Amino acid sequence: MTPAVGVSRRIRASAERLFDAWLDPAALTQWMRRPGDDAPVVVADARVGGGFSITMHGPTGHVVHVGEYVEIDRPRALSFTWRSEHTVGVDSIVHVTFTPDDDATVVAVRHELLPDEASAGKHRAGWSEILDRYVDEYGEEAA
Amino acid sequence: MGEYKLDTVLSAVADPTRRAILDRLLVSDARVTEIASAFPISLNSTSKHIKVLERAELVRRDVRGRDHVLSLRAEGLGDAVAWMQRYREFWEERLAALEAFVLEAEPEADIDADAGSDASTDGIAR
Repeated sequence: MTPAVGVSRRIRASAERLFDAWLDPAALTQWMRRPGDDAPVVVADARVGGGFSITMHGPTGHVVHVGEYVEIDRPRALSFTWRSEHTVGVDSIVHVTFTPDDDATVVAVRHELLPDEASAGKHRAGWSEILDRYVDEYGEEAA
Repeated sequence: MGEYKLDTVLSAVADPTRRAILDRLLVSDARVTEIASAFPISLNSTSKHIKVLERAELVRRDVRGRDHVLSLRAEGLGDAVAWMQRYREFWEERLAALEAFVLEAEPEADIDADAGSDASTDGIAR
């Protein structure tokens, strides 16, 4: 698969409430920022094919993240493309899933880099394994 | 990290044949002819893949007599690992902030003071 990172967190709130926080600009200005930063400027056209931009104001300057909604399946799944200077001009895609778990919801984020068209869906093997072995082999140097 | 270089690295490893070559070189150094015979593609095609990997500085070619011996330059992959680490931290922080936001903005009745709702990364489920 392509280089990807996955993180998840179990949060004591409903899937609907958490899902909506990803699409509502007013909510995004509250949580889509680093601790201590000024509120970001958020524009979001929350429909499949619609675009968004999040301008974060950090200590080292402004970082603009832009993307387009690919999938909006309330309250289960959300996918959007993601591009910023941190993705080095390479397209990436973020998949977010919301899985109810008792009185909470597990929010899982999977962020995949798409270095080229070919890697988008066809080649689903290799990368993680290579990096895992690389980390095993070279350990601390990787960080 | 040079961002252009990372781009080159990521493009280089987007191809399954090139990933397989890297996989092979993780085991040990190998001659170009060995690599070529291990894949169902021509020597010419193998050479092109190897050139891409050399340009991305993932593979080094040493000429030893008549043999061209390839070895892995693993430090190139370190940039990709660093990229992944940066985004892992980014999303861990965002999810912690999301939790703090939903719990503070509109506490639901059955939720008592949740010690894990601060923005530290300590409470993150992995």
